[in-house]
Amino acid sequence: MRKHWGRNAIMTMIVSSLMLAGCSSDGGSKKEAAPEGSENVVHTTGFPIVEQAVELKMFTRIAPVNGPFKEMPVFQDYEKLSNVKVEFIEAPTDGFQEKKNLLFASNELPDALFRSGLSPLETVRYGSAGQLIPLEGLIDEYAPNLKKWMEEYPEIRSGITTPEGHIYAIPGIVTLGAARTDKKWINQKWLDKLNLEVPETTEELYQVLLAFRDGDPNGNGKQDEIPMTARIGLSVVSAMSGSFGLDTQLGYNINIENDKASIWMGSDKNKEMLMYLNKLYKEKLLDPEIFSHTEAQYLAKQGSGNAGFFFDQTNNNFLSIQDQYTGIAPPAGPDGDRMQSQALPIARDFGAFAITSVNKYPEVTMRWIDYFYSDEGSTLLRFGREGEHYEMKDGIPYYTEDFLKDITNQAKITPYAGGGAPHLISEQVASFINPPQVQEAQQKLDPFMPEVRYAAPMFDEQTAQQVNILRNDIDKYYEEQSTKFIVGALSFDKWEQFQSTLKKMKIDELEKLYQDAYDKMQK
Amino acid sequence: MKSVKADTTITMPPGQRRRGPRLLRQMAKRYDLYLMLLVPVVWYLVFHYGPLYGLQIAFKNFNPAKGILGSSWEGFGHFERFFDSYYFWRLLWNTLSINLFSLLIAFPIPILLALIINEIRNKTFSKWLQNITYIPHFISVVVIVGILNVFLSPTSGPVNLLIEAMGGTPVRFMEEAGWFKTIFIGSNIWQNMGWQSIIYIAALSGVNPQLYEAAKMDGATRLKRIWHISLPGIAPVVIILLILDIGHFMNIGFEKILLMQNNLNLESSDVISTFVYTTGILKGEYSYTAAIGLFNSIINLILLLLVNRIARKTSETSLW
Repeated sequence: MRKHWGRNAIMTMIVSSLMLAGCSSDGGSKKEAAPEGSENVVHTTGFPIVEQAVELKMFTRIAPVNGPFKEMPVFQDYEKLSNVKVEFIEAPTDGFQEKKNLLFASNELPDALFRSGLSPLETVRYGSAGQLIPLEGLIDEYAPNLKKWMEEYPEIRSGITTPEGHIYAIPGIVTLGAARTDKKWINQKWLDKLNLEVPETTEELYQVLLAFRDGDPNGNGKQDEIPMTARIGLSVVSAMSGSFGLDTQLGYNINIENDKASIWMGSDKNKEMLMYLNKLYKEKLLDPEIFSHTEAQYLAKQGSGNAGFFFDQTNNNFLSIQDQYTGIAPPAGPDGDRMQSQALPIARDFGAFAITSVNKYPEVTMRWIDYFYSDEGSTLLRFGREGEHYEMKDGIPYYTEDFLKDITNQAKITPYAGGGAPHLISEQVASFINPPQVQEAQQKLDPFMPEVRYAAPMFDEQTAQQVNILRNDIDKYYEEQSTKFIVGALSFDKWEQFQSTLKKMKIDELEKLYQDAYDKMQK
Repeated sequence: MKSVKADTTITMPPGQRRRGPRLLRQMAKRYDLYLMLLVPVVWYLVFHYGPLYGLQIAFKNFNPAKGILGSSWEGFGHFERFFDSYYFWRLLWNTLSINLFSLLIAFPIPILLALIINEIRNKTFSKWLQNITYIPHFISVVVIVGILNVFLSPTSGPVNLLIEAMGGTPVRFMEEAGWFKTIFIGSNIWQNMGWQSIIYIAALSGVNPQLYEAAKMDGATRLKRIWHISLPGIAPVVIILLILDIGHFMNIGFEKILLMQNNLNLESSDVISTFVYTTGILKGEYSYTAAIGLFNSIINLILLLLVNRIARKTSETSLW
């Protein structure tokens, strides 16, 4: 029987190799068409961008609040204006990360990625693999608006350029300070009712929260108030860390002092903060559902008026009861630290747009996206059609009252709702997200904003991989243990063990990699 | 070779004793059977053996742009990284313990249920019991976890309301590492016992009723009848199912564990399959996680071989 076994094995191998050959042969054939746009003129200024209509496929993320992209006025109108037809492949926010990675792993690439939220590691990885094309040359020639911003704010360029000098993805640019940080909203109605002052320190905040819990400020006779809440997970840490002298530089848990970058996860100040949060959690001042509620539930808590203290960028989620809340400054911590450390860099949404190697019209694509980095383009993207969706008052677009009657319409017509869209957010286009109340709340924070905000550095591929390996273990450990410290599942006696485990996971090595990246940036 | 010759003389018509591609001739003769066989064989080749070719990325630094063959070799680096990882022992322990406990606790329950249903004289009641226990099987995992969240909620869940009414303090079931395995295995039993008992009930109905009658005549009690007739009657089925269960020992319940996972119970809910998903698919570390997956499969294979061997040694029944 042995002979037959051999024959069977050979047959199996032949059959399977034939099938595999069939599977893998389509990979190489995609690139064959050379840019046929040679006779199709690409204009460097003005519209249309091209004489003959061009079609592009873009992969994008669609948030739960959005309507289909092809029905958004911005893309309908812009198609007529630019002569570029864009077909969007929409992936919902849930599972988007998974779909995006599979796109690259299977090498079935679209022409471009719109609102892609690529991480620095992903851009370096896919860029050096040749799946994303370098954009720095295209930006110089075909993106006058973007180029202007990069000249005005040099940190944008340093934040998106790899050590080899390539730019593989362009960010969303936010020149409006208020859009780069969450405001601290407190329930003014409850403060008034209980005759309390706005808390200035963390200790006063604690007293105020106690009063919120016990004083029945909503007057229904039941102890059902939520004194303090936040987005799911450790977002409460980034919201409060400034009061304990903990910053978020370089896109990580890093303080920079005298040109020295130090990771603060194992520091005593972090312990102090976690102990404070643990105290709030234990006494039911911090929402017990903070590690389990969904985004929708969190927003509903804001809108119900039954929350005492929480964090959000805008007042959009409690517009109907907006007078009840007011923005406050960060409270000063036990050591007198008073910082709004939760502030994002100007290139806020990293990796928002990228062009892939299968794109036949990279120039056209670059010009297409560049429009959204102008006030005019951003207005189109954020506000839709003049007259139908918005009207101009003093040169600034406002949604019409008619259109806002059904508030859910607003997010349906614009791809900015849900975050991460590649475009410009400036004062000019912020009437909706930055109404007077939000401006006021921002003014309270302004004195405590960090002077410079360093974005996450770009590492070269090898270092990026090293950072990734280290951070995979460290971040997971840090998040899990911090959560346990806060809810009290882990006692602070174990703090030294926590520190030594971080050491074991080579946190010092990670710190050094960030230090090197910082030094390079300073040069 | 003798037996082979004997074989040919049986299948070959006399007088056609040419030497040659005997297999092909045999195949031509029984072409209808081979055509039927073709379907599962092709299915296995395409979906089970074909992907094996991709396993090599566990030893490479997979780069999608270069493809599987074009990526550079890494050797055992990914395995070393996994064995040195802080989470290695935790992942291994959770994976093994969750499955071991489910096997110990959840495996016998459908057998008990089948015996009970078999013993119930009232047919309406036994049918009713059978239906009630197997309907949960058709609920999707997502809904099951949703139900768990609602029932075990610390603020509004009926379980905690009951605990509070009896003077206890509410327990955050879904967020405590200590409760995770109990809830996971318990809800699995609730969902699947009825379904899994069907096959035992079928096996029980195959036991010769004369045996029961004879035992009754000899004065055997009901328990004795179960012990000496019913159980030995279904023993081969039990052993085969046990081996099959061991066959997917390391992969069981991935979706459900992932859905129930959160930072607070990660201590006991972090298993190899969910770790592969979060690092491989979400963070794009294909080679590293392919190595972990391969390690997982090897453990599984060893377990399967081991159990099969033990089964063959101790009883007559085994897979091969």
